[in-house]
Amino acid sequence: MQTNSFSRAALTRRGLGGLAAGLAASTMLAPVAGWAQGASSANLAMVGEPQSLDPMASTADLVGTIMQHVYEPLFTFDANWATQPMLAAALPTVSADGKTYTIELRKGVKLHNGRDLDAEDVVASLKRWFDMTPRGKGLAKSLASLTAKGPTTVEIVLNKVEPALLAHLALPSGFAAIMAKESIANPLTEFVGTGPYKFRERKPDQFVVLVKHEGYASRSEPASGYAGKREAKIDELRFIPVPNANTRLEGVIAGQYQFSDQLPVESFKKLSAASAARAVLTMPFGFPYFPTNTKQGPMADLKVRQAFQMALDLEEVLMAGFGEPKFFATAAEHFPKGSPFFSEAGKDKYSKADVAGAKKLLAEAKYDGTPIRILNSKQYDFHHRMALVMAEQMKAAGFKVQLDVVDWATLIQRRGDAALWDIYITHSAFLPEPMLSPPQLGEGAPGWWSSPAKDAALAAFNAEPDPAKRGALWGKVQQVVYDEVPYIRAGNFGALSGASAKMNDFAAMPWPSFWNVSLAK
Amino acid sequence: MLAHIGRRFTGLLLVLLIVAALVFFLTRLAPGDPAALMLGDQATADDIARLRAAYGLDKPLLLQFFLWLKEVASGNLGQSIFLQRPVTQALFERAEPTFFLAMFSLAIAAAIGIPAGIASAVWRGRAVDQAVSGLAMLAANIPSFWLGLIFIQLFAVKLGWFPVAGYGAPEAGFAERLRHLLLPAAVLGVVNSALITRFTRASMLDILDADFLRTARAKGLSERRVLLGHAFRNILVPVITVLGLTLALLIGGAIVTETVFGLPGIGNLVVSAVLRRDYPVIQGALLAVAAIYVLINLVIDVIYTLVDPRVRY
Repeated sequence: MQTNSFSRAALTRRGLGGLAAGLAASTMLAPVAGWAQGASSANLAMVGEPQSLDPMASTADLVGTIMQHVYEPLFTFDANWATQPMLAAALPTVSADGKTYTIELRKGVKLHNGRDLDAEDVVASLKRWFDMTPRGKGLAKSLASLTAKGPTTVEIVLNKVEPALLAHLALPSGFAAIMAKESIANPLTEFVGTGPYKFRERKPDQFVVLVKHEGYASRSEPASGYAGKREAKIDELRFIPVPNANTRLEGVIAGQYQFSDQLPVESFKKLSAASAARAVLTMPFGFPYFPTNTKQGPMADLKVRQAFQMALDLEEVLMAGFGEPKFFATAAEHFPKGSPFFSEAGKDKYSKADVAGAKKLLAEAKYDGTPIRILNSKQYDFHHRMALVMAEQMKAAGFKVQLDVVDWATLIQRRGDAALWDIYITHSAFLPEPMLSPPQLGEGAPGWWSSPAKDAALAAFNAEPDPAKRGALWGKVQQVVYDEVPYIRAGNFGALSGASAKMNDFAAMPWPSFWNVSLAK
Repeated sequence: MLAHIGRRFTGLLLVLLIVAALVFFLTRLAPGDPAALMLGDQATADDIARLRAAYGLDKPLLLQFFLWLKEVASGNLGQSIFLQRPVTQALFERAEPTFFLAMFSLAIAAAIGIPAGIASAVWRGRAVDQAVSGLAMLAANIPSFWLGLIFIQLFAVKLGWFPVAGYGAPEAGFAERLRHLLLPAAVLGVVNSALITRFTRASMLDILDADFLRTARAKGLSERRVLLGHAFRNILVPVITVLGLTLALLIGGAIVTETVFGLPGIGNLVVSAVLRRDYPVIQGALLAVAAIYVLINLVIDVIYTLVDPRVRY
């Protein structure tokens, strides 16, 4: 029998050798297309493994990036960071006192389990969001009621004006994701949303696979940022954790990945010169900032903090972090021109590089030479490079400086203890609403900034529901930040990603999204 | 023999206990909080405290150690904080790429190292010997991440023969996964061939002037038979020792290569777990690797008796 003779042959030395050679040849000679993905699927190399697939369980950006394809919010941001409706039919009707929001849902929106989305799903999801997420919990203190007023009407009643409510509901980080009420559990085991993609499979540290949601009901407005029409043009999205930045870079150049997120800015030229890939610069992506310890140690003295601010040449610091001017921009304003929050308040204190002025302030503070501990991590290389230059500038102004270089996990822990640091280096994504970041604007964040001027400026800002008046009030908060130096916002920086040359209509946004994106054959 | 294996097993348990204690306390000495990392930048102190309590991280350290040890004794390595699944399951999922990578690398390292070592010894002092020694020195000192990046650049990006990284698509079969392993295995194979080359050369040199080889030649045996049939058989014990050591090193130490090539193996899991402070995974993985290491040594000892009748326990 043929099977037997094959078995016997395979069991001889020659047979085994032949088998091995055949196997080797078949793997060596198989065309590359055998492992490359077709146009209907995209390999997306991400910086790591998502902490969770529950978008409310973690505020990590990666979780939001992936799960925004599965879940949708009531509201979202357009390309100009204006809030727009997504699952809501339109922006909400707000009562005259600014405390009651009536939200009409879009009709005919299908959940991934085939059922129509209704107001009960929204209420159950938002309840979970108010209970679970840090931002939701903060807002829950102002929540009087959350009810379904009909099959497609939701009412949120607040006991205090919360002008940033819609921005909170729109943000993909710590995401107010709307999910099927029957899928809600702790922890989530089913991921049933309304997005253009639905969840298929996750293998930790290997991939998360999302597939096209055939029943997706799209908005009709033109796509802009995260708003408007969404269409799944690629059948399958594979989010692959590739922590090594070099591997992400080579993978997109070789065509194995159709997208590689967060590449080192040094690779811009290489990526631009590649034929199979192109460089995608998201600018501004975020801002580096340096919180100060206002509670304990030398920086608790306002004059020492002001000396620190006065000593810095932030262009030099940013140059150290990002290498080329196209990857960063100095900006005293916390919000760019065009934003309702654009303000030049405090600009005269930004990036002074005034060594003599800083020395004078240190003398007035009677600074005793206690080393200023700059907590920073090499895990974000640009943090460490900025810290090095910052330290030299501070030394020139008469500070004694100690660089405490630790890994990110250690930094996260140490910054919670006021006895362990004086300045730490971090960054935030650019967010369109002041109260979303940095956390030092709230209460209890590392640095423990608390002052009557802060309380007064923020109370006025947070009590004003009229968007037109909020801009001017934000200017007053920005002024207090420059006066009291709870943190220094260095400027803006861009993020570099790589996309396949075949990828069309990819819009660079801080949380990359792949609906409306197609792959040429 | 059986008594010897029994004694070795007792020693093995003792070694594992020491490793368990060291790993447990050393990982806890490092600062960093898995709960804070897991929940992200905006998490409140309450959330972090709740997650810590859920994983028993709020208990006294010594109590945590004994509780963990008790679970380990019953075969349970605990629950991964980050992956939200049992550590044993995570380890089994990651074992395949590491195992095949190690075996494949060992085969490549042996295929390069043994013939090169023999040739080097036979032609001692000649050009072949100098070339082999030079190349072995180079291979031993090349950082594997650097060689990995060069191989990726050349064979994956420029020539497009192999994938840059990863372990194949979800639906991939074994042949495709093998294709993903070829490049990293070549890197590890080249790097690890150096030790095998040197060992083989040294052992061969020791034996080439032995009387029994002179006798074999005097009997008129061909040089090929003298070298492979007589000399090589007699250096099998040291060669097997070095192969075993290399395999143990490969299983425990493919960390850099797995990271560069994005292979979801044990090494990659350990690196991620360290960055995430996923204590149960770090502890479980290192304990498993230590157990494999000790077991491989035991197996090598048993093989000695099979290949060399003079070895007795």
